[in-house]
Amino acid sequence: MNRICCCDCDKKLPIFKLTREMIFQLVRRLHTSPVYKAAESSLLAKLRKKTGYTIANCKKALEMHNNDSDKAEAWLNEQAQAMGWAKATKLAGRTALQGLVAVKFDKNHGALVELNCETDFVAKNDKFHKMIEDATVACFKFAHTHMQAKGPITKMELDSEQLANLTTDGGKKLSEILALFIGSVGENAVLRRAECWKSNSKEVKISGYTHPAPSAPGDYSSGKYGALLAYKQPNDIEDIGRQLCQHIVGCAPRKIGDKEKDKPAKNSDDETCLIFQEYLLDPSFTVEEVLEQHKVEVIDYVRFSCGEIVEATMPGVEKQPLDTVQTLQ
Amino acid sequence: MATISFAKSLVNPALKIILKQSHYSHVRNANILPGLTPLSIVLRRNYAEKQVFERTKPHCNVGTIGHVDHGKTTLTAAITKVLSDLNLAQSKGYSDIDNAPEEKARGITINVAHVEYQTEQRHYGHTDCPGHADYIKNMITGTAQMDGAILVVAATDGVMPQTREHLILAKQIGIQHVVVFINKVDAADQEMVELVEMEIRELMTEMGYDGDKVPVVKGSALCALEGKSPDIGSDAITQLLKEVDSFIPTPIRELDKPFLLPVESVHSIPGRGTVVTGRLHRGVLKKGTECEIVGHGKVMKTTVTGVEMFHKTLEEAQAGDQLGALVRAVKREQIRRGMVMAKPGTVKAHDNVEAAVYILSKEEGGRSKPFTSFIQLQMFSMTWDCATQVTIPDKEMVMPGEDATLHLRMLKPMVCETGQRFTLRLGDLTLGTGVITKINNNLSEEDRLKLLEGKKAREKAAAKK
Repeated sequence: MNRICCCDCDKKLPIFKLTREMIFQLVRRLHTSPVYKAAESSLLAKLRKKTGYTIANCKKALEMHNNDSDKAEAWLNEQAQAMGWAKATKLAGRTALQGLVAVKFDKNHGALVELNCETDFVAKNDKFHKMIEDATVACFKFAHTHMQAKGPITKMELDSEQLANLTTDGGKKLSEILALFIGSVGENAVLRRAECWKSNSKEVKISGYTHPAPSAPGDYSSGKYGALLAYKQPNDIEDIGRQLCQHIVGCAPRKIGDKEKDKPAKNSDDETCLIFQEYLLDPSFTVEEVLEQHKVEVIDYVRFSCGEIVEATMPGVEKQPLDTVQTLQ
Repeated sequence: MATISFAKSLVNPALKIILKQSHYSHVRNANILPGLTPLSIVLRRNYAEKQVFERTKPHCNVGTIGHVDHGKTTLTAAITKVLSDLNLAQSKGYSDIDNAPEEKARGITINVAHVEYQTEQRHYGHTDCPGHADYIKNMITGTAQMDGAILVVAATDGVMPQTREHLILAKQIGIQHVVVFINKVDAADQEMVELVEMEIRELMTEMGYDGDKVPVVKGSALCALEGKSPDIGSDAITQLLKEVDSFIPTPIRELDKPFLLPVESVHSIPGRGTVVTGRLHRGVLKKGTECEIVGHGKVMKTTVTGVEMFHKTLEEAQAGDQLGALVRAVKREQIRRGMVMAKPGTVKAHDNVEAAVYILSKEEGGRSKPFTSFIQLQMFSMTWDCATQVTIPDKEMVMPGEDATLHLRMLKPMVCETGQRFTLRLGDLTLGTGVITKINNNLSEEDRLKLLEGKKAREKAAAKK
């Protein structure tokens, strides 16, 4: 049975293929000239190109408004938020462990944000970059406006819920922007965590770093890893905040370490205390020696690695509402 | 009847297998008919023996790329389903293919699903492409290759923002031939499908492909899988496979390339001359072939006067053979391990190359710390190894588990060509593995001296400028 069928096909095939190809070419020729243009100028194509919403939604919008593209567009923009929410709820359970970590800082403030998505293709997209930049700027602003306390440095850890409630420059909540983003890429995305820092004295400086670093260092960057560092250093000495941050991103110390209490590990590659680690940019020195040379005092640091599984937070540290802040010392 | 069963009980199991095999070989002989391929026989075997892979058709590696919800896995399942009806594949369910999560949990392995099937023309290995970084890693380590790709786009959504990134990946890993499958046609109308096709062609042109000539097939993988509406279901799949057959060219096999033999060791046999041993990397080697021996800063021309394998003379050695080659008028002392014997003019020694490198994470046996420019590593490739200075052009450092472009400057010229794989080691650790992407001009004497300079000297030179 099988065989007969196959032979039959074989005989028919070349003719079939030939005619099919001829038709195909014909169609294509039509396609590239007038028909192509006709399709391009069709309402659906126009609307899709203009708004970027999914084809199915554009179609629906046109059908609902009797092909009135202005009304359809208005409707789409209106619906986008709701559709984004619907999509976001639908995809909420899917694991998202790719993404980016972004940092923004000036001398006295810093923000470190992690945004996750499902595939790293999405993380390379411009929309994703825009999204995480919005979130980081919102956190950075939050550090400026909402945080006040005594002590050298004020730290605030935000989880995804708190992040979602922050507002951006445009007056929208981050959660709304995120939902729009999810609606547009069709992949789950999570604003995972953020860290907002503010130093309360002129002496304490804040620096940030992400890896891979941009070719021109600026106050904002994003990458797979990121770190914030608060340190004291006299102004007349070459500032090594950025380099120290790079070391922290690279060598991932667990704690700063105390010269008296902690002991260096036997194998220098397994060292988890910052001060005993070999300095990344010059392994002939330890970090401690570098700190002494440059008269730097490291006050605190935080490091994010995108997609990492966070160890359980310390017992006793409760989640804090947005209007209170955690202070060091 | 009784005698037969008595005889059966006498026959020992080994003999039984032979009997069975002879039985099946009979079937095989009888079945050299059109439409029934060896695979179909393999499928009917019902005893627990490992199937034998039979090389009857040229092999080609393809893969699916596209958005997570556009039906890549469904399409792969549909392909196996449609081909299994023709006895050309084993039908795989969605869950069989989507085994990436388990592999992901293991963390170390490359999380791609690998499926096998064949058409009338060719045999295929099909990979599902998980993520950009994962695939780059695959490409560098050479675990999974793609000769062509099927880009899956749903007619309902159209081109997504990240479709651009998918095509960037395809470009980056050197895929020249992409066939487009517009999926979920059952949930869309003609106008939408046309619009998607137009968008895709536009985007492909923008990304440097010939957008107008790219084959675009429209259908529904789900319909094919469920056996519904054959015009957009199984027929579309058949159509897609035809396009894949004709549009993606068969890769050149190693056998058809000019021969290359990395030298493993050299012996001097009294009365016969110098024998070079090694595994033939590619091509075929015959007695009387002209050859060139290159490496360690030397180039020698000679002729192969005999080829031997297992102390027996060989008419013709093929890629993969471990062999000894007798060479004319060259002393043992002139040849060293790490040199390469090849067809004259096909290989050259270089000492300044660019490469795509994957740096192993700690779990994979690499180092826990990143490295920065000017680290000195030992580079191993074929049978040679050489100290190299590494510089990182577009990053400040390279973290473990990451891929990067590196500039490698070797202390002496060694045989290198684009596409050649190598390993980078530091002390007793393997730091990473890579593939050469570009050959730069050889270093000048001055540059070579600079390689040996320390950090202080480099800083001084930078300060002077």
